[in-house]
Amino acid sequence: MSNAISRRDFLKVTGAVGAAGLLAACGGGSSSSTAANSAPASVAAPSGDAVELSISWWGGESRHEAYQAAIAAFSEANSNITVNPTFAAWSGWEDTMSTKFAGGVAEDVCQVNWNWLYNYSGNAQTFLDLNSVSDYIDFSQWDEATLGACYVANSQQAVPVSMTGRIFYWNMTTFNKAGITEVPKTLDDLMAAGAAFQSQLGDDYYPLHLGGYDRMILTVFYLESIYGKDWADPATSTLNYTADEIAEGLDFIKSLVDNHVVMPLPTYYGNNGSTAANQSNEWITGKIAGIFEWDSSAAKYQDSLDEENRPGFTVGEEIKFGDYNGGFTKVSMGLAITQTCQHPAEAAMLINFLLNEEEGASIMGSECGIPASKSGLAAAEAAGAIDELVAEANGKVMAFNAFQLDPLFEDDTLKADGTGVYQEVFDTIDYDGVSGADVVDILLDGMEGVGYTINA
Amino acid sequence: MGMKAAHRVATFFKYFVLILVGLIMIYPLLWMVSATFKDNSEIFAGISLWIKNPTLEGYRNALNDFGGSINIIQAMINTYSYVIPKVIFTVVSSCIAAYGFGRFDFPGRKIMFSVMLATLFLPQVVLNVPQFLLYNSFGWINSPFYLAIWVHTAFATETYFVYQLIQFMRNVPRDLDEAASIDGCNSFQTLYKVIVPMLLPALVSCALFQFMWSCNDFMGPLLYVSTPAKYPMSLFVKLSMDGDTGFAWNRILALSLISILPQLIVFFCAQDQFVEGISAGAVKG
Repeated sequence: MSNAISRRDFLKVTGAVGAAGLLAACGGGSSSSTAANSAPASVAAPSGDAVELSISWWGGESRHEAYQAAIAAFSEANSNITVNPTFAAWSGWEDTMSTKFAGGVAEDVCQVNWNWLYNYSGNAQTFLDLNSVSDYIDFSQWDEATLGACYVANSQQAVPVSMTGRIFYWNMTTFNKAGITEVPKTLDDLMAAGAAFQSQLGDDYYPLHLGGYDRMILTVFYLESIYGKDWADPATSTLNYTADEIAEGLDFIKSLVDNHVVMPLPTYYGNNGSTAANQSNEWITGKIAGIFEWDSSAAKYQDSLDEENRPGFTVGEEIKFGDYNGGFTKVSMGLAITQTCQHPAEAAMLINFLLNEEEGASIMGSECGIPASKSGLAAAEAAGAIDELVAEANGKVMAFNAFQLDPLFEDDTLKADGTGVYQEVFDTIDYDGVSGADVVDILLDGMEGVGYTINA
Repeated sequence: MGMKAAHRVATFFKYFVLILVGLIMIYPLLWMVSATFKDNSEIFAGISLWIKNPTLEGYRNALNDFGGSINIIQAMINTYSYVIPKVIFTVVSSCIAAYGFGRFDFPGRKIMFSVMLATLFLPQVVLNVPQFLLYNSFGWINSPFYLAIWVHTAFATETYFVYQLIQFMRNVPRDLDEAASIDGCNSFQTLYKVIVPMLLPALVSCALFQFMWSCNDFMGPLLYVSTPAKYPMSLFVKLSMDGDTGFAWNRILALSLISILPQLIVFFCAQDQFVEGISAGAVKG
C-alpha cells in the first residue's frame, strides 16, 4: 500500500499549507518602502522623438469608445506619440490594477478610483506628483477644493475627472397615483408621502427604498444637516460625531421605516435577496417609487423601469433636514501618472488633452461623469456630449452638498453588500426592532477596525 | 390490471419524474436563451420563458467591436489559441508526473508528493502577486503568445489532475507493467502503450475540466493580457458590463450563449468518448 496517503502525510501537507499562509501574512506591507519624493523634480521636456504611452481605464462600452476616439485625436495632434490602451469592466479591475501597481508595471496613465490614492499610494510611492508636470496640465481649470481632494501624502497624485454625490430620484408615475404631484422637498413631504402611499395604494407601496449602504449615507447626510460638520476629518479620519449624535441619525432612518416612507429591509430581502434595487420587481413596476443614488446612476434606474413607469422618472431635490446643507461630494474618478512612466511630460499632455482641451473633452463628454474641469465642461456642453439627466442630477448635487468625504468611509469592510458593518447595523435595527443607541457600538467598533479615530 | 399495464404505468411514472427533474435542471439554460430576446425590464420582471416584446438587439449588439479594437470572432480565436496548448500540455505533463509518483519509488518521493499536494490547497489569490512578479521578470506580461497563461501547465502544475491520475493509476494492475517489460518495453513505452490506453477515461475528463476552466478563466487573462486586440472571450463578454451606468443584459446573455456553444459541442463529443472509455475498461478489467 505504498501509494496510499497516510494520516501523517496529510498532517505534513496541512502543516506546509499553514506555514505558507503565515509567510504570506508576514510578507504584506513591505511594498510601501519606496521613498516618497518630497519635492517635485522637474521632468524632461517633451521631445519630438517617437514616444509610446499606455493608458488604462474601466467602464462600459460607450466609455471604451469615447476614450479610444479621444486617444486617436490626440495621436493625430501629436504624431510622434502612440498611445496603447487597456480597458475592461469594473469587476476584477481593482485586483488587476493593484497587482500591476505592486509589480511596477501599471500603465503610464491610469484612471483611478479616489480611495486608490490612499490604498496603493499612501506614501506617494505609486503615482507621480503632478506638480512636477504642471507646465503641461492646466491646474487652473479645477476648483482648489476639488483638486485638493486628490492631494495625498503631500503630493498631487491625480487630477479629478468628475465629482459625484447622492441625490433622490422619484418615480412620479406612482406618486401621481398616490395623489402627490410634486417631488418631496422637505422631511414633512417625505412623511406625508409615506402616509399617502399606505392609505391610497396599499401596504406594498413605498415612496423610497434604501439599502444598507444607502441608509448610512443618508444618516451622514442627516447628521451633517443638523450639526454642520464633516462626518470625519478628511485628512486624519477622526470621527467628528459622538455616539449619542450618531444614535440620533440612526433613529432618523428608523423613523422613516416606521412611518412607511422606506421599505423595511426584511421585506426587501424577502422578495429580492441581495439583488440591487434597479433589478428588483418593486422598482421596475413602481412599487418602490424612489431611491437615493449617485448622480451618475440616473440612466441605469430610468432604463430599468417598465414602459408605464419610465416617463415618470424624475431627478428629485436634495432635502434640507436641518440648518445646514448636508451630504458630501467626492471625486468619482481621477487620472494619475505612475512613477514608472518613462515620459511623464507626454503623459501629462495626454491628461490635459482628455480633460481640459476642447478637442479631447468634447469627445469624452460625460462618459466619465460630468467633467470637473471648467474648460472641459464648457467644451463638452458646447459639443452636446453631456447626458442631460446626469447633468441635472450632478448640478443639483454640486450646488447643494457642502461636506467632504474621508477615504475610510468607503472601506469595503464597512460598505460591502451582505457582509459590511453598515448593513449589519441597519439589519439589526430592522430585524430586531432596536433603536439607534443599541447598535451604535457595532458601528463604532467596525469603524475603529478600519482605522478611524473615535473620540466619542 | 395485468402485468403489462402495470409495467406501463411504472414506466410512465419513471419517465414523468425524470422529465420533470430534467426540465428543472435545464430551465436556467432555456431561460438564458429566451432572455437574450428580452429587454432589461422584462428580464428582471419574472422567470417566465415567454417573450412579450421579442428583440434581436442583444445579438446585433453582440457583434459590436468596441471602437474597432476587438470583435467576437477575434476573441474566439484568441481564447482557443491558448486554451488548446493549455489542455494538451496539462494532460501530457500531468500524466507523466502521475506515472512518476504512481509507479516509481525514488528518494524523496513521499516528501515531494506532500509538497505537491500542499500546492493543491493554495488559493489562487495568494499566488497572483508572486506569479505576476515572476512572469514580469521573464517579460511574459502581455506576451503575444499568452506565455504567462499556458507555459506553466507544461510542468504539471495542475496538481488536481496529477492527484486524480495517480488515484486512477492505482487501479491499473502492476502485472500489466511487468508483462510489458517482459515483452521488451522500456518505461516510456509502458506508459504510452499500456497505461495511457487504460487511463483514457481519466485523461479525457482531465482534458474536459481543463478546457472548461480555461475557457471560463477571467482573472488570468485580465492580469496577463493588456492589448485589447488579444482579449479572449471571457474578457470580451464582460467588456460592456458597467455597473455604474447600467448595460443591456440581453447582449451579455447573447454573448455568453455564443461563447459557450463551442464548449457544449466539445463536451458532447467528448462525452461519447468518455462513456466508451469507461465501458471498454470495464469489459477488459
